[in-house]
Amino acid sequence: MGKRSGSKRKDKNKVILPPELPPEIDDDEVDLSDEDIAFYGTDSSNVAHFRHFDKKSIDRYVGRVAGRDEGEVERLYEERQKRKATESSGRPREDDDELEVDPVDALPTKTLQGELVYNRAKKARSEDNTGSVKTKAQENGADAKKIIKKDEPKGKSKNKKGDDNKVKNIQSQTEVPKGQLHSNVLEEVKEELSAEELFEKKKAQLAELGMAMLEDPESNIRSLNDMLSISNDKDQKVVKLGLMSLLAVFKDIIPSYRIRQLTEKELAVEVSKEVKKTRYYEYTLIRCYKAYLQKLVSLEKQPQFYTVAVRCMCALLDTAPHFNFRENLLASVVKNLSSSDDVARKMCCEAIRSLFINEGKHRGEATIEAVRLIADHVKLNDCQLHPDSIDVFLSLRFDEDIGKDETEEEKVKPKKNKRWQKSQEVPKQLPVNDKKKTRQELISKAREEVDADLRAVSFSLDPKERKRIQKETLSALFETYFRILKHSVTTSNSRTKVNNVSPSGLHPLLTPCLAGLGKFSHLIDVDFMGELISCLKKLSGYSDRQDEIPNDNALSVSERLQCCIVAFKVWRSNLEALNVDLQDFFVQLYNLILEYRPDRDHGEVLADALKTLLWEGKQQDMLRAAAFIKRLATFALSFGSAEAIAALVTLKHLLQKNSKCRNMLENDSGGGSLSCLVAKYNPEATDPYLSGALASVLWELSLLEKHYDISVSSMASNILSMANLNPTQNPVPILNVNPLEAYRDLSMERELLKPASKSLPLNLKKKRRGKEFVALSPDVLKKADCSVDKHELEEKLQSHFAVLRSISENERLRGELNHTLSSINMYKEYKKQQKKKNMKFKTGRKKVAKV
Amino acid sequence: MRPLDEKETTQVFEKLFKFTGPNLKHLLERPAVEGPDAEPGRYCLRLHRNRVYYAAEALVRRATAVSRPRLAGVGTPIGKFTHHGAFHLTVHALDLLAAHARRRVWLKPDTERSFLFGNSVPKSSLARITENTKAGDGVVVMSMADVPLGFGIAARSAQDCRKADTNAVVVLHQADAGEYLRKEEELM
Repeated sequence: MGKRSGSKRKDKNKVILPPELPPEIDDDEVDLSDEDIAFYGTDSSNVAHFRHFDKKSIDRYVGRVAGRDEGEVERLYEERQKRKATESSGRPREDDDELEVDPVDALPTKTLQGELVYNRAKKARSEDNTGSVKTKAQENGADAKKIIKKDEPKGKSKNKKGDDNKVKNIQSQTEVPKGQLHSNVLEEVKEELSAEELFEKKKAQLAELGMAMLEDPESNIRSLNDMLSISNDKDQKVVKLGLMSLLAVFKDIIPSYRIRQLTEKELAVEVSKEVKKTRYYEYTLIRCYKAYLQKLVSLEKQPQFYTVAVRCMCALLDTAPHFNFRENLLASVVKNLSSSDDVARKMCCEAIRSLFINEGKHRGEATIEAVRLIADHVKLNDCQLHPDSIDVFLSLRFDEDIGKDETEEEKVKPKKNKRWQKSQEVPKQLPVNDKKKTRQELISKAREEVDADLRAVSFSLDPKERKRIQKETLSALFETYFRILKHSVTTSNSRTKVNNVSPSGLHPLLTPCLAGLGKFSHLIDVDFMGELISCLKKLSGYSDRQDEIPNDNALSVSERLQCCIVAFKVWRSNLEALNVDLQDFFVQLYNLILEYRPDRDHGEVLADALKTLLWEGKQQDMLRAAAFIKRLATFALSFGSAEAIAALVTLKHLLQKNSKCRNMLENDSGGGSLSCLVAKYNPEATDPYLSGALASVLWELSLLEKHYDISVSSMASNILSMANLNPTQNPVPILNVNPLEAYRDLSMERELLKPASKSLPLNLKKKRRGKEFVALSPDVLKKADCSVDKHELEEKLQSHFAVLRSISENERLRGELNHTLSSINMYKEYKKQQKKKNMKFKTGRKKVAKV
Repeated sequence: MRPLDEKETTQVFEKLFKFTGPNLKHLLERPAVEGPDAEPGRYCLRLHRNRVYYAAEALVRRATAVSRPRLAGVGTPIGKFTHHGAFHLTVHALDLLAAHARRRVWLKPDTERSFLFGNSVPKSSLARITENTKAGDGVVVMSMADVPLGFGIAARSAQDCRKADTNAVVVLHQADAGEYLRKEEELM
């Protein structure tokens, strides 16, 4: 060991070496060796001692593994030596004595710890080379570890296999006497060995080059080429390794500016050495980067390299969105946004998202490019893409005042200009001589130049530029959204007649598109509004002819509900001043409530619709409100507690706002004078105005009062208490949440309760069931449900679970006690036996002594 | 008293359709609530002295017993034919239209009076309007408490209302509940 490090020290001044074979060292020894080297560097008197120790250990190794066929190993080793000589002619002669130390290298068992060995080798070298910058070297070491670890599992397994083979082979060799018969076997062994070695060698070479690059990119820039050529290898693993290590290198050395082509004028000018050097560096860097990207793009088409290539591209896009060739990178990442491979798609989505979020890195230019590319992509694929590709838009961010500022600024601008002009005019009127003029011009010119430079350098955009970019992004975004809407409108009519496939399959992009429209609704131009609303109306399944069976629409219920929500949001955020009544969408919601199925549709969307349309809506007219109240009550009765609470919260809100509807809470049906032209409630009417709901009675509420869920039943009784109050009075609010929150709370509780109920012991379940049967009689139910207070219930549950817990704790403790007791007993027994034995022994001895 | 002929029927239906849209069907097919018959019949339209009446079949059957000059009216009058043969809806139809209309306009409380005096609805008095109203549609004018006040024809669509200036007319007046006082003798 010491010897080797000594020889390396001699190599210090040499150029980059091709990597040597992995020396064989254990894990623990790696750490030690570092210290050793340091120690060795300071004090050379210990060399002899080290040498001695080293040889010993090596001898031990050799003796253990292949002690007998030293000759075979030697021969193999020689062969390898020859190969190496041909490959790297510039190899120093000293290698010989260096390699003398470890003939073991040729032995198969070593490769197992391949990675660690590199690490050590590199560390040693880097420490030798850059003794002063120790910390950096250590960092690099960590980096290298990372790089190599990625491929670790595969490499290891393969290595193991190889080892097995080799061990077998060697065993066979040892079994058979040396002869010409087995030369072919040897050949095989050689081949295998060489493949394995080649891989290891390339790995080492890559790692070494990478380290060198990271240490000093300026001077070692040329080794990028070498790395590239290595990654052209036939071996897949080597290629992957090469790609990954190149990625790591590029991540580190890509500058924070964009490298531009030199103009001819600039080329013509004489430059200093340093500038030349920098130029050369940049030139090489950009050439290699380009080659790398090309390679990535070409490899992406091969299935075995697909994931690696995509990962590299995503990582590059993430770290260097400002750098050259961003367009190509973006194009291929966007293309993969809708790939069928889950992993690749996720990576691309993440990359694009981070691009949108960290706009500071690229000044927003990449954002607009990405949005445009996605728009084109959607257009090309006729809106048949994976929803994730549109989902990324949700992480776009816009300034709140894009629209506003512009008008204000335009107003302000002329004034400013006038003032400025005036101030300009004043000095003009003064008699100025030519010299002053020229000087002023010079100054202004210089100032402009400086400004331009500053703008080019600074990463923060001036507000105008920023606004322009955001506007363009926005227009591309809405273009995409509107295209998707249009597409789903046109195809939904034609396609469904042909085949009735699952609805979400037809318009995969519609859901994220609607979500996006909802999010950016405040930014939509008012001029688009009419068309957008009519589009949404068509999509929500509204038709002018009501006798027609309402649905030959391909969209699912939740999608249609979402259409309603979006329409509302769009109107509300844009036309706050003019109060518009979106009647058609109310009608649609009224009908969709009946079509809701808890397993098929998303309850959350429904709750959201209730919230946006009914809860937040300013005012309902009476007939419609009554119709909705009745329908919501029916709805609450037929579905789970979460849906019920959402409906009840909305119902209560409607009753509070429309005090006239409160006579639905009273017991005489008919509605009196208010029930307009429809005297009888028609539960199946499609138009809320014609349902005659005012003539009905809300009998559902008194049933709901006995609901098993305490929050639902309390809500129902709270609503019923409204009947006794004045129209102007409102009952004490018990739950001040909107329907969506109420829904979420309850559904969450339900989720939480599920596993708990499963884990309950059987007898408890039985008890419960028994109770349920009893509870069917209303009196008992009343007693059971109405008397239970929340606190009481909590306390009871607490005490119950405390008892359970103490029982289990008791059992555990008892078990422990038994265990210790038994062990003590055992020990006693053991002691007794021992004593007996001793006694016997003693007596025996005594006897012997006596004899 | 006689049923409407074909030309008159189309005239009446066209006018009603402007307000009710596809709800016209409900208007004619709903079960009657008037009359002593156990089995409710339908409603039908009858013409009597240039006026069109909307009446339950049972009522019409009984009204045939009264001689034509002595019959003042039957059921609800909904409009009249002018001397030129055009059909006009009258205030009496307000309840019917209000129940079946598709487009509505709500007035601000302090401007209701102006409308009840027979004026058209300017934009300034508009509190709310149904979204898909187009120019030329029939709209029912309501107070904010959802009491129908009258009806008219939309002069501009809901979209255009946004851009219109405050004095621009939104709804052209056709009939309002104030006529019961102003034109009492005309109405009967």
